[in-house]
Amino acid sequence: MLILLRRFSLWAALLGIVAVVLMVRQTTAIEPMPPPPSVPVQKPTARVIAAAGLVEALQDNTSIGVPVSALVKRVLVNVWDKVEAGAPLLELDDRDLQAQLTTQRADLRVREAELTRAKRQHDLAQSLRASRLVSQDESDTQADAFAVAQARVDSARATMAQTEALVERLTVRAPIDGTVLQVSTRAGEYLMPGASSAPILLGAIEEVQVRADVDEQLAPRVKPGSKAVGYLKGDTQNPIPLEFVRIEPYITPKRNLTGSSAERVDTRVLQVIYKFPMVPTPRVYVGQQMDLFMEE
Amino acid sequence: MTDIGLRMLFGDRAKYAMLVSGVCFATILMTQGLALFFGILGFSYATMTNIRAPIWVVDPLVQQAGDNQPLRDTDVNRVRSVEGVAWAAPLYVGNAQARLLTGGATQPLMLVGLDADTLAGAPTKLVEGSIHDLRQPDSVVVDARFLEMMGALRGVQLKLGDAFEMNDRRAVIVGIAKVAQGMAGATYVFTTWDRARHYAPAQRRMLTHVLASPAPGKTEAEVAQAISRQTGLRALTEAEFKRMSARWMLFNSPIPYVVGLIVGIGFIIGLGVSGQTFYTFVLENTRQLGALKAMGASNLKLALMIMTQAGIVGVVGFGLGVGVMSGFFAMLPEGRAPLVLLWQIPVIVLIAITLICMGTALLSVWRVTRIEPAIVFRA
Repeated sequence: MLILLRRFSLWAALLGIVAVVLMVRQTTAIEPMPPPPSVPVQKPTARVIAAAGLVEALQDNTSIGVPVSALVKRVLVNVWDKVEAGAPLLELDDRDLQAQLTTQRADLRVREAELTRAKRQHDLAQSLRASRLVSQDESDTQADAFAVAQARVDSARATMAQTEALVERLTVRAPIDGTVLQVSTRAGEYLMPGASSAPILLGAIEEVQVRADVDEQLAPRVKPGSKAVGYLKGDTQNPIPLEFVRIEPYITPKRNLTGSSAERVDTRVLQVIYKFPMVPTPRVYVGQQMDLFMEE
Repeated sequence: MTDIGLRMLFGDRAKYAMLVSGVCFATILMTQGLALFFGILGFSYATMTNIRAPIWVVDPLVQQAGDNQPLRDTDVNRVRSVEGVAWAAPLYVGNAQARLLTGGATQPLMLVGLDADTLAGAPTKLVEGSIHDLRQPDSVVVDARFLEMMGALRGVQLKLGDAFEMNDRRAVIVGIAKVAQGMAGATYVFTTWDRARHYAPAQRRMLTHVLASPAPGKTEAEVAQAISRQTGLRALTEAEFKRMSARWMLFNSPIPYVVGLIVGIGFIIGLGVSGQTFYTFVLENTRQLGALKAMGASNLKLALMIMTQAGIVGVVGFGLGVGVMSGFFAMLPEGRAPLVLLWQIPVIVLIAITLICMGTALLSVWRVTRIEPAIVFRA
């Protein structure tokens, strides 16, 4: 049997078998599952409903509109400005109304002069009537003329007041207390009522709300008042605790958060509103996307 | 007696070499064929070799890895809402075209859109750059072979930091990855899922897969089942999806038939060659065996002797064969040749070689039992 050990071929064969074992391990080795390059979001509890949300101002963002088609004369606010209800935001071009005001003002002066004349004649007629130097008829005519002149002055004043009100309307004012989120118009631009994009976006952002889209197939699992945490897109490490506000009663077609217009509606979503104060770091911006986990 | 057998075997070096090389040749033929067969099957799930995730969620109609059926965007959150899922991430896999900024011909590629938050499924072997740079605008990580092909076919050598165009949008190379070759030689370009929507030809729905991972303490299979049950989608573990793809290819593509035919013929020829050589060896030794018999060796002893000879020839031939094969595999460029050496392959080949050696040995034994000792004195 020892003859075997002296054969080179036998050792070579043994080497071959070792080599093939190594080769098998090399070609069939499956690398261990790598973790994702960034640590994924941790679910707050085992049973959650996940949803995609969009940060909005509390009570939604207010898209400011203009009353008439007009040029922008002046923009009175900047983004981040805090405004109170009634504060002017925009002045629209009012030259046409100012032109009307000039003629109306002149007209008023004419009417006022006419009134002065009518009053003097009326007063004269009154005093002469007392000494019976004019007839009753003449005196009445002067009294009527005086009353008409007075009414004409009132009418001219009313016309001016109307124009002034129209001028005043061309100063667009803030309907709510809030912060200016976006100013997308500049002096000299032409604005129209009902345009798709608002010239100024206003919102109260001491607290902000998140509008979470829950797939309608998960809707039955959503419970009103449930706690939730949100993670801003791109930040998987800092959960933001959220406070339940309400569930919208109407299921809407899904709004596409990623911006491609080619998408047609094939999903309806239940919208759940949560709010949170704007103080925590990292800073949150209105319009930011958020991943939400609602406790079930 | 065994020693005599071994001396008989090793005595004639030329004959021994011929015997062993016959078996060696048969081993090479069979091993290489089988490895090629499984290697080609492996192409069917190349996507999963390059994009790693424990659980893949797809449309219920999907039958194999290359079948990219769109899901709805909200399906990611539906998978996330399943208990036992640690994380879920969107994935887009689809075809796109690369074009140089200077214009000209396009180069097809496999576009992969990864979840921007986690980058789950990102390539693990980066030659240059960083995968986290994918968060920069217009950034892509490309397959090293993509650059080679752009260089070879379009004559422009792109490098890290260079830009090209997909679907009229700029793509800046921020990383170069080393990934396995896809089916039909496809090269890969990785970007984020949001950007993939713009780089790929416009489609209504751009979510093809949801990648997921089981929470600690849960198995992949059990979580995959829970996802399938609760969402109505099809959730598969990585291994299941690979198996499904390989099976689909086996039954629906002509490649396994073509390769299978070659492998089958190789197998039969291998068996024939090794059997024939050994049988010839015994035939040539008939006179010696006769002499042994004349000296009083029993049939049983002769049979044992022949069996030992056959066993040694089989093992040595097999060992040399797989050794040569391994050397050959090791020399091939990594990741290019579709050769997968499953552990079953050498085992099957060893069993086949043993069977044929023993079979021919038995045939020879049968002959030997019938020889008359007097044969020694003839001619």
